[in-house]
Amino acid sequence: MKRLILEMGTGNDLYGQDYTKAACRAVQDAIHHSSLTLFRSLALDHAAMEVHVTIGVQNPDAVDSEVVAAELPRGNAHVQIVKGGLDVHDEEAGTISVIANAAIEAFYDIPDGEWVLSPQHP
Amino acid sequence: MAKKRVALELGMGTSLRNQDYTKAAIRAVSDALWHNSLNMADAFGFDKSAMIVDVEVATQKPEQVDTDKVAEIFPYGQITVKSVFGGLDIPKRTTPGDQDKHSAHTIVANAAIIVSFDIEKQDRTSGAGE
Repeated sequence: MKRLILEMGTGNDLYGQDYTKAACRAVQDAIHHSSLTLFRSLALDHAAMEVHVTIGVQNPDAVDSEVVAAELPRGNAHVQIVKGGLDVHDEEAGTISVIANAAIEAFYDIPDGEWVLSPQHP
Repeated sequence: MAKKRVALELGMGTSLRNQDYTKAAIRAVSDALWHNSLNMADAFGFDKSAMIVDVEVATQKPEQVDTDKVAEIFPYGQITVKSVFGGLDIPKRTTPGDQDKHSAHTIVANAAIIVSFDIEKQDRTSGAGE
């Protein structure tokens, strides 16, 4: 398996203190800044793609990883939650704005030498 | 030869204060580039210089975008930059009903980066190629 891309995104939940919602928004931000067009152009199989998602939030236990995994439209997704992101505290209001980071890695089996550069024309 | 698209990257950039369409375009391209880290050249075993990078930046004044400056931010690849009409200009209104002709605008640029390789599939895995 070789890594095709690392996609990065950020998401927040400003009022609800919902860490899962912030994580899902970070995933959406990450996946919608690019498109893996080689699956269509080279006729590859999405289902054989491995997808590793790493979420960073200040309260990892509050993230439902199955809900986050369901945000990934293709491939076989694994979700890992770590401590990271940022909580912005408003002491006066007694609220927290939750910021999540998402890193999404797509892996695919590309056998060595299966694709070659076309010969250069003069 | 067959030019195959392997990735598309998307971004948005703005110029808030001085109607700098080139700056907004550069920020849009940077937004597209730095949300992703492409590993495709490595995955296929190609040199990064083989990447064909076609950039489209869209603003309301495409003739004001310096495409050479936009091309400069790419670290490698065969870069082509096309400036087209699009994006969005928002007049600097101070009240909701303000219908005056404004000279000052907030500029929004869109960027699409199409990454391709000129490649072909080897028919026989043991084949020596061309």
